Amino acid sequence: MTTFFLLVLVFFSLSAGSLASNYHENLHLQPLPPSSLLASFNFKSNTTRASFDRQHFQYFPRALGQILQHANTQELHLRFTTGRWDSESWGSRPWDGAKEGGTGVELWAWIDAADDEAAFSKWITLTQSLSGLFCASLNFIDSTKTTRPVTSFEPAGDHLPSENLHLLHGALPGEVVCTENLTPFLKLLPCKGKAGVASLLDGHKLFDASWQSMSIDVRPVCAESECLMQIDQTVDIVLDIDRSKRQRDNPIPRPVSPDKLVCDTSKSYHARDTCYPREQKAEKGWSITELFGRSISGPCPLVDGQGANEETVCLHVPQEREAHPIPDSVETKVTGDFTRCFTLPSSTPFDLTVPEQDIDTKVPLEEPVLHAERSIVGHGQERGGMRIIFDNPSPNKAVDFIYFESLPWFLRPYIHTLQATITGRDGIRRQAPTSEIIKETFYRPGIDRERGTQLELGLSVPPASRVTLNYDFEKAILRYTEYPPDANRGFNVAPAVIKVASPQAGRPIYLRTTSLLLPLPTPDFSMPYNVIILTSTVIALAFGSIFNLLVRRFVTAEEASALRAQTLKGRLAGRIVALRDRIRGKGSKVE
Amino acid sequence: MPVNRRKAAVLGGALILRLLLLLLFPSLPDLLTGRVEVSTPVTSFKRLQEGLFLYNRNVSPYDGGLFHQAPLLLPIFSLLPNAQEYPFPTALFYSLLDLLNANALITISDSAQAVSGRLYASIRKEITWDGAVIAAWFLFNPFTIATCLGRSTAVFTSTGILYALSAAVQGQSLNSMLALGLASYLSIYPALLFIPLVLLCYDRQAQRSNTTPSTALFVVKHFAVFLLSVAGLLGVSLLIVGDFARLVSATYGFHLLVPDLTPNIGLWWYFFIEIFDSFRDFFLGVFWLHLTAYAGSLTVRLRRQPLFVITSLLGIFAVFKPYPSIADASLYFALLPLYRHIFPLMRYTFFSVSALLYASLLGPAFYHLWIYAGSGNANFFYAITLVWSLGLSLIIADTIFAALRDEWELENPEKRGKTVKQV
Repeated sequence: MTTFFLLVLVFFSLSAGSLASNYHENLHLQPLPPSSLLASFNFKSNTTRASFDRQHFQYFPRALGQILQHANTQELHLRFTTGRWDSESWGSRPWDGAKEGGTGVELWAWIDAADDEAAFSKWITLTQSLSGLFCASLNFIDSTKTTRPVTSFEPAGDHLPSENLHLLHGALPGEVVCTENLTPFLKLLPCKGKAGVASLLDGHKLFDASWQSMSIDVRPVCAESECLMQIDQTVDIVLDIDRSKRQRDNPIPRPVSPDKLVCDTSKSYHARDTCYPREQKAEKGWSITELFGRSISGPCPLVDGQGANEETVCLHVPQEREAHPIPDSVETKVTGDFTRCFTLPSSTPFDLTVPEQDIDTKVPLEEPVLHAERSIVGHGQERGGMRIIFDNPSPNKAVDFIYFESLPWFLRPYIHTLQATITGRDGIRRQAPTSEIIKETFYRPGIDRERGTQLELGLSVPPASRVTLNYDFEKAILRYTEYPPDANRGFNVAPAVIKVASPQAGRPIYLRTTSLLLPLPTPDFSMPYNVIILTSTVIALAFGSIFNLLVRRFVTAEEASALRAQTLKGRLAGRIVALRDRIRGKGSKVE
Repeated sequence: MPVNRRKAAVLGGALILRLLLLLLFPSLPDLLTGRVEVSTPVTSFKRLQEGLFLYNRNVSPYDGGLFHQAPLLLPIFSLLPNAQEYPFPTALFYSLLDLLNANALITISDSAQAVSGRLYASIRKEITWDGAVIAAWFLFNPFTIATCLGRSTAVFTSTGILYALSAAVQGQSLNSMLALGLASYLSIYPALLFIPLVLLCYDRQAQRSNTTPSTALFVVKHFAVFLLSVAGLLGVSLLIVGDFARLVSATYGFHLLVPDLTPNIGLWWYFFIEIFDSFRDFFLGVFWLHLTAYAGSLTVRLRRQPLFVITSLLGIFAVFKPYPSIADASLYFALLPLYRHIFPLMRYTFFSVSALLYASLLGPAFYHLWIYAGSGNANFFYAITLVWSLGLSLIIADTIFAALRDEWELENPEKRGKTVKQV
């Protein structure tokens, strides 16, 4: 799959070489085992640096451009992701993981600023503005969620050496990506999702996918003396073919009717009421209309180049696989390759039908360079442990990579407990000296309510083995106003980012682990008054009894009763005299 | 020398018991280190190890949210072998510290300052325990053993306080101030003991030389020594760590502002979890004012028994400190047997001891229900900390009553043994 995307990249870099304002879009479809389809939308527009600075936007979205200028942002990467890429069955990631974020929202940007404080205030400006633009909670990226990665990210654009760039990174793992984020995303496109491949993007289908990732990358691209600002938007989705097809005519899942069951009749117990389902060998049939619920409504007229003749929809299947586009479309096949592409006719809506077919050739899936998995171990709400497993599938090559994680401040890791174990393919564990696996460490401990923990490790996993990292952590208890309304659900921990240096010395490969849910100890939210009252009572009781002892004097019991009698008598006598005087006084007046 | 043999038996027995526990239950130290009753954010051994790890890698341990202990502990502990791989040297070190503390207690007990000082001699001075018994009360107290095995750094503060006391009763007032300086440097609250301690030193000096030097001059001189010792220790810390502002805010600021609300046996954590944000600073002030208010008032009322004032203050700190642990309670219970002679005058012994036992047994159970089993909530453990604080403050109030009554009976010998009232 990497070569396929590399080809696409080469194609785009060639077309970007013309150095003028232009716009390109395309859609790649690739069936994934067992019955999924990867649909990868890509939209790319350019504008010259000069017209960008003069606020002359043709294809570049004005809303985003002005935010970037206001926040001094030279390069921006924004990701909206839901679901998990199943690398065990789907192979390596599209775009080598470069266009993918962790679950939720992830944002990183290079900001031109004089110092760290200025960069941070610009960063806050940026997150606030993007939050409004994309209807996402990006404004919740505060100092506790912002990190400054040292080695995990590299600028993708060509920057001037005079710029003083600061990289800031923030993630919101708990953000639920949905249609309110898709609509502003489509609005950034020149055709606003009304024409071209973007017309397929419908929130109902997109967010029903097994995995989806939307990305926006803005970077300056320079060649010789001239510079371009390039915005690259992608939407990658993995659709479950059965699930997407079912919803059209039969939205409520029902059992398959008996006459439609495909049974294995060779089983001895096969009868009218007993069915052993037969394994589906044939490739699933599908069409764009069935999967997306609509057809592509013609090409976007703003697409640069050959206009309507550009090959916009590409299919990545074996040569023998049948595919029927609408008659007006022109099909191009590259011999010896798995890719075939179609043009969008300008007059009629485009549809592509791939019928069910029994074929033996399969598109070879590329093995990912590394499998990574992260989970929380331990029980109880007081402390726990983090376990990260890296599996190197290669039989002869070691993998070197950077592991980056940012932890919220209420998760307090004990980095002195960090331990590494290596397990070979034979399943034998051995305790390796940590320095053998961890080549370099960058650790910035978190401070309560101020900043989160940042951990970057340079790791090396030997061939055909599995490395397990372990460390302990403690869970902090928060003030009761710091808990969200659903406090017992737990708190989200952002996914870890893994940067594998590419063997071909090209762009690095990125992987992300899943996000984690961290349950914290919770106080009782119902009784702040009771706690204040009860604690104050205990304190008052102690203080009162000690104060009483200190200021009063001792007398014997007899003396005390004598004193009391005296005072009582004196008081009573005084009262009686006063009463008598009053009566007498009144009486004399009457007389 | 039969007495020395008894002392040696107590000390040796305590050492053997600690090492035996370590040998029989190798996982016990780590279990106790993780208990909230033993380790607080300012005394936890695990946090110390994290600080040590960062310190040994030339990262400032105070540039993080975990380590809040005094910087001088870092070079001391980096001399010891890694406690994870070799737990024995650390355990031995802590056990020897306990023996040192017991030795200081024996010195205090032998001076008989608890029963008769310069201004006061109890009429019950024959009812006492000797040093070996008092050392045994301290060394075989389960709270002390748990603190020792849990490797809480509160032990260092206890050592500082006990040595300040033992030097004071021996008349070495400068040593006493230096030791108090160390204790205050380690955890800020022992500075509140300065007034009664300097009075104890003054009494001893006056008693020895049979003269009464100028009180004001004596206090100012000793205060200067105390300040100098703290400043000296801070100076050394500055050499170790470097960033002074961060060091102070991470250690003393952490003690004063209580940002970490990890559960402990005290009253502060749950109160400050539940308090409304706008009142947080106000109540922080009120709680600290309440804690400091006792030092002056007790000293004035019990001027004739400064050692008893110190004992009671230690008890009050064990209840009302921001991050108390059983280490503080064990220090109070170590000094309490010195006042064996006032025990007969106490009124609520059974009730308060029962409350303490009830709290110490149910506390871990309720904590388990809240944190691990999930069948209880935070109020369970909170209620137990209330009972614990109530029991402990009852004992404190009761001993103060007994001490005052003892003084009163000395003044009024004819009223001895009669029922009394306070008016």
